Amino acid sequence: MDLGSLGGDLMGIVPLGDIVLYLTPLHLFMFIAVLTFTFLIAISRTETQVEASFGDLKDNELKVGLAEFKARRFLAIICGIATAGAMITGDLFNFILFVALTGVVNVGIVSAVKQIDVLDAAFQYGLIAMMASLPLFGGGAIILAATGTLSFFELAKFTSNSMVLFGSTLLLIGVAGETGIAPFFATKAEMFRTPGSPFILIIHLSSLFMIIRAIEILLVIIT
Amino acid sequence: MLVPEFVPQIFCSLYLPAIYTGFIVGFVGLVGIAINKSDIHVLILTDIVGLAMLIVVGAVGTDLAEALILPGLVVELAEILAISEILISREMRKKGKSSSLLPTPYVFDMEVMTTAPNFLSLLLIGYGIFLTGFTGGVVAGGGILLYVLSRKAKGLPIVLIDGIGAISGIAWCLWIVGFLLFFITPDLWLLSLFLAACGLLLKVASKMGLIGTLMREEFKRE
Repeated sequence: MDLGSLGGDLMGIVPLGDIVLYLTPLHLFMFIAVLTFTFLIAISRTETQVEASFGDLKDNELKVGLAEFKARRFLAIICGIATAGAMITGDLFNFILFVALTGVVNVGIVSAVKQIDVLDAAFQYGLIAMMASLPLFGGGAIILAATGTLSFFELAKFTSNSMVLFGSTLLLIGVAGETGIAPFFATKAEMFRTPGSPFILIIHLSSLFMIIRAIEILLVIIT
Repeated sequence: MLVPEFVPQIFCSLYLPAIYTGFIVGFVGLVGIAINKSDIHVLILTDIVGLAMLIVVGAVGTDLAEALILPGLVVELAEILAISEILISREMRKKGKSSSLLPTPYVFDMEVMTTAPNFLSLLLIGYGIFLTGFTGGVVAGGGILLYVLSRKAKGLPIVLIDGIGAISGIAWCLWIVGFLLFFITPDLWLLSLFLAACGLLLKVASKMGLIGTLMREEFKRE
């Protein structure tokens, strides 16, 4: 499909040999939105969870320690920057790397918690993310083998064949597994039960933005 | 056909078997994961699926595919390290115990540590600088590592150089600058090649040296 009809008017291209960067209003909007959210998350404090206990009138407060807070904030910022990079990149290779990076960082954000249930969920999500790297990188490699390029600017000119379709399907499965959306969400659901809300939320946010961009990319490649 | 004329036909015909091999290996790994119930076995079997990814990417066999393999491998390693760390911390929380980085003490009673380690490490560093690039960095870093270990084994004091990781970071920037010059001004290819090669040498060598400083803490502990 024509790049302009998906993301609005083409605002300009930066030709760097094989890599052609390009800018459309959609990408620019998503890039700025993710950076804004990342900034808001970076300056915010964590919530304190209050658990009501059964049988008596006591409340149980769950707080996040300073060292854990700092590590989590750092990883959340990295996650936000990786998501922002995936929004604006003009290269399938970079997109795959950014998706893989968010997968690793998402595991890292919850890795320091104390609840065993949450660690269990993080373990399961990590396994799925690792398995999903086969369709993710494999899909990218098959698209590369079928078209000879990884730049969206060049990929948009190709008419698709069955091999590109197969590669795109694998890529979609890979992105779904790596960000932990619909068929794989069960692995990730328990991860959000730990205290420290704004940093946990970026796991959700990154997967939402990633999937929007992934669908746009698949439309560019297939049609 | 996208493949240039001078590539032999046999290389092109290898692509399909390689892809099938990759997917079969991945499928076998997934079947193993589905059958197995032990967490540590699942973790090890997941690595097989990651190796299948390397086969599928490697089947393409161009320089762009090589550029995909390296980060793929790094992502695999990072993920398996992170997940095994989560597994360890979960088991420790269940049992209520804690453990250090290296649970067993390291003692090297090797002859090479006392006979001529300085000459060997000098040789390794010299050869590494001659090689440059990634390989050279590994060889030179191995020389630094041998030097640190041998001094520790002989009981000599070690000069602490803190911030060796910063050298690694700055050298990495040289590499990036070299890469950028390749794209912006292809005429300066020799300069950018040397920037990239020497930057990578410094980066990898100082990273290996960093492992040496880490080992220093744990080495010879009873």
